[in-house]
Amino acid sequence: MTAGSEAPATPEQASAATASPDSLELYETMVRIRELETRIESLHFAGRMHGSFHSSTGQEAAAAGVIGCLRPTDLVASTHRGHGHAVAKGMSPAVIVAELLGLEQGSSGGKGGSMHLHDIASGFLGENAIVAGGVPWAAGAAWASRRLGKDLVAVSFVGDGGAAQGVLAETLRMARTWGTPLLVACENNHLAHSMPVERTFGEPGSIAAWAAGFGLRSEYVAGDDVLAVHRIAAEMTDEVRVTGRAAFLEVEVWRVRAHSLNDPDYRYLPKDLGKSHLQTHDPIANAERDLPVSEAQAAAVRDRIAQEIADAVEAAFEGQAASEELATTGVYSEAFEQEGRMRGW
Amino acid sequence: MAGEIKYAEAIRKALADELASDPAVVVMGQEIEALGGVFTATQGLAERFEGRVLDTPLAESATVGWAVGAAMAGLRPVVEIMFMDFITTAMDQIVNGAAKLRYMSGGQVAVPIVIRTPSDAGTGHGPQHSQHLETWFAHVPGLVVAMPSTVPDAYWMLRHSIRDDNPVVFVESKYSYFRESGEIGPGDAAAHPYAARIARRGESVTVVTAGRMVAESLAAAEALAAEGIDCEVIDLRFIWPYDREALAQSVQRTNRLIVVHEAVQDFGWGGEMCAWAASELFYSLDAPVRRLAAPRAPIPFAAHLESAIVPDRTAIESAVRDLARH
Repeated sequence: MTAGSEAPATPEQASAATASPDSLELYETMVRIRELETRIESLHFAGRMHGSFHSSTGQEAAAAGVIGCLRPTDLVASTHRGHGHAVAKGMSPAVIVAELLGLEQGSSGGKGGSMHLHDIASGFLGENAIVAGGVPWAAGAAWASRRLGKDLVAVSFVGDGGAAQGVLAETLRMARTWGTPLLVACENNHLAHSMPVERTFGEPGSIAAWAAGFGLRSEYVAGDDVLAVHRIAAEMTDEVRVTGRAAFLEVEVWRVRAHSLNDPDYRYLPKDLGKSHLQTHDPIANAERDLPVSEAQAAAVRDRIAQEIADAVEAAFEGQAASEELATTGVYSEAFEQEGRMRGW
Repeated sequence: MAGEIKYAEAIRKALADELASDPAVVVMGQEIEALGGVFTATQGLAERFEGRVLDTPLAESATVGWAVGAAMAGLRPVVEIMFMDFITTAMDQIVNGAAKLRYMSGGQVAVPIVIRTPSDAGTGHGPQHSQHLETWFAHVPGLVVAMPSTVPDAYWMLRHSIRDDNPVVFVESKYSYFRESGEIGPGDAAAHPYAARIARRGESVTVVTAGRMVAESLAAAEALAAEGIDCEVIDLRFIWPYDREALAQSVQRTNRLIVVHEAVQDFGWGGEMCAWAASELFYSLDAPVRRLAAPRAPIPFAAHLESAIVPDRTAIESAVRDLARH
């Protein structure tokens, strides 16, 4: 059968078994994200990195828990706050740091930067700095992949800010109309930049309630408990994989840092609110308390990851800047650009 | 004439032939499956290519974004936006998604999608169904902008565009769907995929145009020939990339340039061509570069008001006559 004429996989064709990382793996992923983002922040504060940076510190359980139940061939689309998603999907921290440094060894040779990480080989379709803009990419990529005979699912992350965007509503409507193996994971971090979610949607769970109106399965989970996130996400991605029907998961997390490094004051809220949220809602501290992981095991993971990230940063700094020619090439296909050079456009 | 078909049929045939030859091609849009397209461009295709010509909800932004994702995953989606005016609702996915993904990802992905969309005044559709917005897209790095005027170009340019590895905004002439006839011919006559076409050879004035203004310009050229003004009419075919070699060769002979388009003149693509010619062909010019395009107003509904806005053969004749006096 040709790819294009293939019908979406039936429940019989799709298998439900989910990769199931143990607690230590979930913990390790969260530590890796925290360590990397903390190092990146320090590099910014030390003046060794330029540009914008949106930290997901405090939100690690969403990335680790949701992506932890995916297979390597599954796809993830992300937001402007997506380093954690990239890391959880398997993108190399050294490549991420090189991209943030604007170097040739970065994932886009320095063309993308912090808000435009892409790693297609890992199934990471990419971040998208247009809020909610990546949701239809994930929906379409999952739909197309299924037509091409691949038994995969896609996860698209979006925030509470993105939940207000029209394209999310459009995509959920289209997902219901056409069917696509997509899980939308909405990280409700309570703040769309400075707009509190209580003003736009309401109490935690309100976004999930809104999404349920599209006729899709929609759930809410507290995102400071990585096992709880993982459990519900695994159940939902299994269902999505089997049925080919999209679903929506609101993960309540806390954005404990400011919106970005350009907005360091957190001035629209009590200054230490972020810190106090982290004291009570830190998914990593909670994991250390709740998971069946010993203190020694956790300490060993932290030490190993600290070394891994230090090595990655060191490796990234050994990279070189790409030639300036890169700035104006790769806009179009190589064949097109060759023709253009020959013909003066 | 035997073998002659209408412009709309040429579009339909190009879609059918690409659907038949490449299993990765899918066609998505509003009212294209059950209805066959409001301008019949997909009539019969849903039955012939089951599951590959698909009605979407009225959700242009998700539709284009979905096509972008599908292209990233290996398909070649063709999206129909029913009227070009409606493309505004999908701008983000075109400009920030389709156009930039190859670049932003450092070449990790390509986005081979075609966004077909009809434009033109002349059909009484009023202010929100008639605008020419191709200039916007020509301004965006990463996009190709096609604007065929003839039956063979509607067919061959669409086939090329579907095979193009770059995202293409394909501006169809709504006015021409059932008015313009021609033969597809055995193959694309163009020298290269983005080459302009010399629609009429001439020595006095170069008229650069595209879309349905080609026919108006040719009609004007015939009338002017009787007065001894010999127009060369260049059908650009593509607004980006535009064929600078063809423009240069023509203006170097005629020494006079006028650009005619239906889009608003202020900041329109004619300004780009004139600026380029004034800069690069300055010593070939015997007269100021000129533009003839729509004034700064929406397209009105009433036929007589519409005629007052949109360039036609009479307006072209008069503008060229004036230019030829220099």
